[in-house]
Amino acid sequence: MISVTPTNNQADSLDLENLTADQTAMEIRNLNLHYGDAQALHDISMAIPRNRVTAFIGPSGCGKSTLLRCINRMNDLVEICKVNGEIRLHDKNIYDKDVDVAELRRRVGMVFQRPNPFPKSIYENVVYGMRLMGVNDRRTLDEVVERSLKGAALWEEVKDRLNASAFSLSGGQQQRLVIARAIAIEPEVLLLDEPTSALDPISTLTIEELITELKEKYTVVIVTHNMQQAARVSDQTAFMYMGKLIEYADTNTLFTTPTQKQTEDYITGRYG
Amino acid sequence: MKQWFNSGKPWIWLTAGSVSISLIAVIGLLILIGWRGLSFFWPAQIHEMDVRANDGSISTIIGEVYDTETIPLERLKESGVQLDDFNEVALDRWLIKIGNREYVPLDFTWVLEPQIVRDETPADLAKLERSKDGNFYGYVVDVLENGKSVANGENVRAVLEQRIERVVEINEQAADLQDSEIGAINYQLNQLRLERRALDLEGQLTEAEKARISAAEQQLRDDYEVLEEELFALRDQASRDEVVMRDMRGVEVTLPMYRMLAVYFPNDMNLVEKIGHFFVQIGKFVSEDPREANTEGGVFPAIFGTVFMVLLMSVIVTPFGVIAAIYLHEYAGKNAITRLIRIAVINLAGVPSIVYGVFGLGFFVYMVGGSLDQVFYPEALPSPTFGTPGVMWAAITLAILTLPVVIVSTEEGLSRIPSTLREGSLALGATKAETLWRIIIPMASPAIMTGLILAVARAAGEVAPLMLVGVVKSAPMLPVDGNFPYFHLDRKFMHLGFHIYDVGFQSPNVEAARPLVYATSFLLVTVIIGLNLTAIGVRNHLREKYRSLEH
Repeated sequence: MISVTPTNNQADSLDLENLTADQTAMEIRNLNLHYGDAQALHDISMAIPRNRVTAFIGPSGCGKSTLLRCINRMNDLVEICKVNGEIRLHDKNIYDKDVDVAELRRRVGMVFQRPNPFPKSIYENVVYGMRLMGVNDRRTLDEVVERSLKGAALWEEVKDRLNASAFSLSGGQQQRLVIARAIAIEPEVLLLDEPTSALDPISTLTIEELITELKEKYTVVIVTHNMQQAARVSDQTAFMYMGKLIEYADTNTLFTTPTQKQTEDYITGRYG
Repeated sequence: MKQWFNSGKPWIWLTAGSVSISLIAVIGLLILIGWRGLSFFWPAQIHEMDVRANDGSISTIIGEVYDTETIPLERLKESGVQLDDFNEVALDRWLIKIGNREYVPLDFTWVLEPQIVRDETPADLAKLERSKDGNFYGYVVDVLENGKSVANGENVRAVLEQRIERVVEINEQAADLQDSEIGAINYQLNQLRLERRALDLEGQLTEAEKARISAAEQQLRDDYEVLEEELFALRDQASRDEVVMRDMRGVEVTLPMYRMLAVYFPNDMNLVEKIGHFFVQIGKFVSEDPREANTEGGVFPAIFGTVFMVLLMSVIVTPFGVIAAIYLHEYAGKNAITRLIRIAVINLAGVPSIVYGVFGLGFFVYMVGGSLDQVFYPEALPSPTFGTPGVMWAAITLAILTLPVVIVSTEEGLSRIPSTLREGSLALGATKAETLWRIIIPMASPAIMTGLILAVARAAGEVAPLMLVGVVKSAPMLPVDGNFPYFHLDRKFMHLGFHIYDVGFQSPNVEAARPLVYATSFLLVTVIIGLNLTAIGVRNHLREKYRSLEH
């Protein structure tokens, strides 16, 4: 009856209801979001554990990407979008008035659906965030480039052509470059918005392996419409439906013994 | 038939036809002005003709055939010309440039083809180019030095050529002296006069200052006298030689050598020499100053003025247009007022250019310029510095004229940049301004260049507004020279477009000027194409650099 079996590279299960402060990277509390008059997110509360991979799954239009974009306030760009509730990072609500959004986004990085390298060289793409912070020392930047590209499993492929245009890379390489760019500024949390939906299966596999490695240093939140992917890479999974958080549990638990009927219907492919 | 219609082929024919017609129009235009303009530089044969006048008398004419036209016989009869033995409906008449302006009332004459009884092109006929009174056509008889003959029959050509070379060189030295050194002294004297006036106005003209300025002036006047003597010596040297010519009346006339620029024997040239002559003439046309109320000589000041004004305009319009477009597209709220402003900007492009000229004259020249004069140049008043038309006001007026083009195309470029790139930059902790500077503007630069290309094409071709804000028929000095501060933006300038109008419609001899009109038009088109190609080259380079829109 269950079509997706989680693999066994998941971390030990946690009590998601009662995480200690140490274990928590971010906490979402009673989050509501409206696009004009339409409500897109309904009273979402969840804790995202540190150094783990959390996946948001659900059918198209369920609000999983919207929720992800709330976490680093990318929704601020949408004029008609209104957010109520709290998202706490180190016990500080990121929607408070005195929060520097640019600083927040440095701490909560994001990778998008389609690879979006800048029209610059590979090197300049990676150091973009560093240069924004005013770091221009060549040696520091060189180190950052090497560390980030190694961290994104791209170093071996591009180390001889760092000054080539980023567009000379393949789609999968571009996506890893974008990840390298995101981790170059050492964020605490890394948000991945369907990072493999525009890639071929082999590139997808590389990225998935990379995600598993990334959680050693960063907290990863991934949105995916691919249940197998969620099962393969994530430690806990949140299932969303119609703007509501239906079920949030260890990936193993959620995929093997879902408590909600809607979750079960979704993961068994009855709708989606 | 119906099937053919439904197949969509007529549509293809229609569209292809429109393209062909546009193409033919453009190429035809270029060929026409290119041919008419460039043939002006090709060495024309000098004809010697015997023409029978109405009363039966025969006279000789020497000159170049400039133009031919066909006229009906009726019209000639009405004007009293009798052609008894001629029975066709129409006949040709030739326009002959006979030159020798000081000896004949008009240097052009019409000749009816049937009245020509003899037409030859003797190899010995010479064409003398002169700095005054236009060309002289005739036979070279002798060359005189201090009134004594220095040539015998055979070597007269060689001697003449060598003497002309000498005199041209001396004249060049004299002109250099006059323009650079004497010009600089005049400029400095004027600056000193203004300085004294300024000190006087501020009440700080102490005795010491007076003495200092007087001493400087005295020094300059002494220098001036030395240079003036040098100049007079050069002029004396130049007027040493003379040339004796026999003109078409058969009279021998003595012409001073110092007015000579060159001598040619076009009837005696072979093809290679003619081609060489052709390119030399083109070179002179683009590099020399105009003479004789613009009907002769080159157009260099006009080329310089056009290019300088357009560059100045580009420097002004690009930052303004780009900044305005950024505000409209990135910061302004997406509401009715923004849309209204955008529509207003687009409509500005439709305002007739002369209206901008009037605005420029009233607002910039008289109001802004007048105020600038009162604040910064009170010592020069009542003669205005910036309160009079000049190249800066012309550039600013044209910048306003072309502003809508730059704004519209920059905005289009901004809206074409994928939002994922903005988000990518913002997600890395960049502020909106940082994203703009580091990602958006560089990526929109090809579109900005497109706007600039359109602006340059429009500005370089405008004449009407310029006539009000700074263009003149003849500007004694270029807006750039060796005197500090090197760029004199208050000066008036010459412009190719206005030059065409002036030569073609305002000159005393419109017939003579027609080839010049074509040549100048061709040059104007070439200059605009050159400016555009440069901008297109830059744009393609930028496109190559930022081609990211295709993933």
